[in-house]
Amino acid sequence: MLKKVTALLVGAALAFSLAACGGGDKPSNSPAPTQGSTGNQGGGEKQQVTLEIWIMPNSTNPAEDFLSVCKPFSDANPNITLQPTVVDWGAAWTRLTAASMTGEAPDISQLGSSWVAGIGSMGRLVDLSGKINKDAFVEATQQYMGIMGRNEIYGMPWFTETRGLYYRKDACEKVGVDPTKDFETWDSFKAALEKLNNVEIDGQKLPALGMPGKNDWNVIHNFSIWVYGAGGDFLSEDGKTAAFSSDAALEGIRFYSELAVAGLMDKTSLEKDTNHVESTFEAGGYATSFMGPWVAKRMNDKKDSGESDFVDKVGVTLVPKGPKGRFAFAGGSALCIFDTTEHQDEAVQLLNYLASKDAQIGYSTVTGNLPTTKEAYDDPSITEDSFKKVFKEQMQYAKHYKGVPGWSPSETYFTQGLSKVWDNAMQIEGTYSFDKTKQVVKDIENQINAVLKENEVELQVEESAE
Amino acid sequence: MDIQLKKSSIGVKKKSTGDLLYSIKQNLFAYALLLPAFLGMLFIHFIPMINGIRISFLNLNMKTMKQFLNAPFVGLQNYYEVLFNKESLIRTGFWNALRNTGIYTVVVTLCTLGFGLIMAMLVNREFKGKGLVRTALLMPWVVPSYVVGIVWGFLWFQDSGLINVIFHDILHIFPTKPFWLVGRNQIWAIIIPTIWRGLPMSMILMLAGLQSISPDYYEAAEIDGANGWQQFRNITLPLLKPILSINIMFSLINNIYSYNIVSMMFGNGAGIPGDWGDLLMTNIHRNSFQLWQFGPGAAAMVIVMFFVLIIVALWYLFFKEDLVIK
Repeated sequence: MLKKVTALLVGAALAFSLAACGGGDKPSNSPAPTQGSTGNQGGGEKQQVTLEIWIMPNSTNPAEDFLSVCKPFSDANPNITLQPTVVDWGAAWTRLTAASMTGEAPDISQLGSSWVAGIGSMGRLVDLSGKINKDAFVEATQQYMGIMGRNEIYGMPWFTETRGLYYRKDACEKVGVDPTKDFETWDSFKAALEKLNNVEIDGQKLPALGMPGKNDWNVIHNFSIWVYGAGGDFLSEDGKTAAFSSDAALEGIRFYSELAVAGLMDKTSLEKDTNHVESTFEAGGYATSFMGPWVAKRMNDKKDSGESDFVDKVGVTLVPKGPKGRFAFAGGSALCIFDTTEHQDEAVQLLNYLASKDAQIGYSTVTGNLPTTKEAYDDPSITEDSFKKVFKEQMQYAKHYKGVPGWSPSETYFTQGLSKVWDNAMQIEGTYSFDKTKQVVKDIENQINAVLKENEVELQVEESAE
Repeated sequence: MDIQLKKSSIGVKKKSTGDLLYSIKQNLFAYALLLPAFLGMLFIHFIPMINGIRISFLNLNMKTMKQFLNAPFVGLQNYYEVLFNKESLIRTGFWNALRNTGIYTVVVTLCTLGFGLIMAMLVNREFKGKGLVRTALLMPWVVPSYVVGIVWGFLWFQDSGLINVIFHDILHIFPTKPFWLVGRNQIWAIIIPTIWRGLPMSMILMLAGLQSISPDYYEAAEIDGANGWQQFRNITLPLLKPILSINIMFSLINNIYSYNIVSMMFGNGAGIPGDWGDLLMTNIHRNSFQLWQFGPGAAAMVIVMFFVLIIVALWYLFFKEDLVIK
C-alpha cells in the first residue's frame, strides 16, 4: 500500500511541480531583476548607487550602446553605476507586468509607447511631473507620457519612430514609377504597386510589397496607417469603446488587406515577423515595404562596414495619403521609474541626462530612431540625413493610440483578430470574402469592449478617489 | 519467476512516525544527501505552487495588482469564471487551445514512444559506428526547446523553408508549397518539432530497458522457433512495460504543459499563435498576463493541474502492476 501511495505522491508532486513551472524554462534574456545595491564608502564621499535599468534591443549592441551614450553621465557621476539589462520585446510585457505586481522591479525601465498608460495605471510608477521638463518634448511624443485625461507623467519619451515607405530606386526606375508622385495617394500607390509587381531586378522577380502579417506585435501598427487614412480609429474619442468596425475603419482594413488578395503584397511575407521581412527587404527581396527608421540605420551600417551598398538603391517617402488625409503610426519608447526604487533622485538625474540634446542625438545615432526633444529634433544630424528627415516630416502626420489603460490588453485582441483578417486574405481556408473580414472585426470589437469595460471601472474608481 | 523485492527499511509494512524517525537515524547520510534536492523542490516548485493556488482565490487584476498576494479574497469566483462564464476573458480561445492540446499530447506521446522504441531497437544492434549514431540521435535533446521553436519556425516558411524545399522542390512529394505557420497546418508545425526533440529521451529510456532484457530469453525463443514479431510481442514488449509506463507519464505531463516551442515559433516569445497553434499553456499565459486576468488565470492553471492529476491517477491504475519489479 505504501508503494502505491508513494507512487501516487511522486506522480502528484511531478504534476504539481511541472504545473507550477509551466513554461518556467522559458528563455530569460537577462538575469533576474535585482534592487539597486547601496554601499556607503564614508569619508564624505557620495553614496555608491547602482541603477538597474531594463532596456529592449533598440540597437545592435543594446547594453553597450546604452552605456556608451551614458558615458558622460557616468564620468560626471562616478558614484552611480548603470546596470542595463536587455529584455526582449517578446518577454517584456510579461516581465514588466510581473515587476509591477510583485514589486521586484528595476529602478528604471523602458516602456513601449503604447504600454505607458497600462503600466502606469498599475500604480507602480513614479509620477515624473515636475521632475522632467514636459515642454521640452515634441508634440507627437507627449501623447505617450501618461494616461489620457490625467495629468500624471509616467513615462519620459526617450525615442520615437514612425513607419515610412521604403522603395527600391532601381525597381521604380525600371517600371517608370516616380517615387515623388506615384506614392502620394492610396490610388496612385496601388497603381504603382501594379507596375512594380514582379519587376525583374538582377534576374530576380520582386513582389511589389512585402509586409509582416502575423506572429508579431507590429500587425496592428501596420494596419493603423490605413485605418487612420480612411478616417477610422481603433477606439472611440473618449477611449471607452472600440470603434474598429466603423465603415471608415473597415474601408482602411479592406484596402490594405486586399492588396494581398490582388497579389500586390507577397503572401509569403505575411506568415513572417517584422525582422524577417526587414531582412528580406535589406537583401533586395521586395520592391517596397513600410518600415521604421532603424532599417535605414542598419543599411547604412552595412555600407560603412563594406558589407553591402544596397542602401544606395533605396529611398524612403511618406505614407500615402488616404481619403481622409495622410496619417502615420507614431511609436517609440518612454522611460519610467518604478516606485520601488531606493534611488529615485539618481534615476531622475539619469532621465534628465537622457533627455539632454547630446544624449538624444547620441541614442538616435546608435539606434536609428528619432529623438523626442525639440532641440534634438532640429539637429542637423536629423534634418540633413536623407532618411531621418523624411521620418521627421512624417511625424507631423503620425498618430498615437489612445492612452487608456485598456489599450495594452486590447492590442492582444487586435493582433489576434487582424491575423485572422490575413488568414482570409491569404485564402488559406477558402475563398476570400470581405464579409469574413467584417465578421472577424466585429468579433474583435466585442472582445475589446469587454476589456475596456473592465478597465473603465478602474479609471472611474481612480477618478473618484482623486 | 516472480521475485519480490527484499523488504527494506522503507518496505511494505505499515509505518509509524517513530519508524520514520528511526529510519532517518539509521540512514542519516542518505537523508542528508536528499536534503538539497528537497529544499530545491520546496523553494522552486512547492512555494510557487502554493502561491499560485492562493492567487486563484484572489481578485488580482490591474486594479489590485499592487496588493499582489493581499488582493481581495473572492472565494470560488475565479473558478466560476473559468468553468461557467462563457463571456469571461480568461476563456478567450480556450476551446481551440484545449482541442489543440488534446491532439498535440496524444500524437506527440504516441509518436515519441513508437519511434523511440523503433530507434532504440535499431541502435541496440551491433553495427559499425554505433556510438556515433547514438550520439547523433541524441543531438535534438540538447537543443533548448525555445531554440527548437525559433529554428523550426524558419524551417516551416512557405517560400524559403527547408521543409517545402525538400518535399516540394527536391522530392516533388507536395504538389504545391503549403503554408505551415498559418491555418490548420499550424498543429503539425508544433507537433513535429516536439516529436523531433522528444525522441532522444524516449529512445534512451527504451534502450536502457532493452539492454536490461537478458539475451537468454531471445535465445530460448529462437530455439523454440519464435519469429522476430513473436519475440517482440511476447518478450520485448512485456519486459519493457515498466519503462513504457514511465515514458508515457513523462510524455503526457510534458506535452500538456508544453509552452516554449509554440511561444517562440509564433511571436518570438510573445506567443501569438493562431487558432490551430495555441496550446493550453500559451493560452492561459497570454490571457492571464496580457489581459491582466491573474486570478482567473491561476484558477485555470489549478484546474489543469487537477486534470493532470486525474490523468496520473488513471495512469497509475492502468500501469500499477508494471511498477512492481518482478
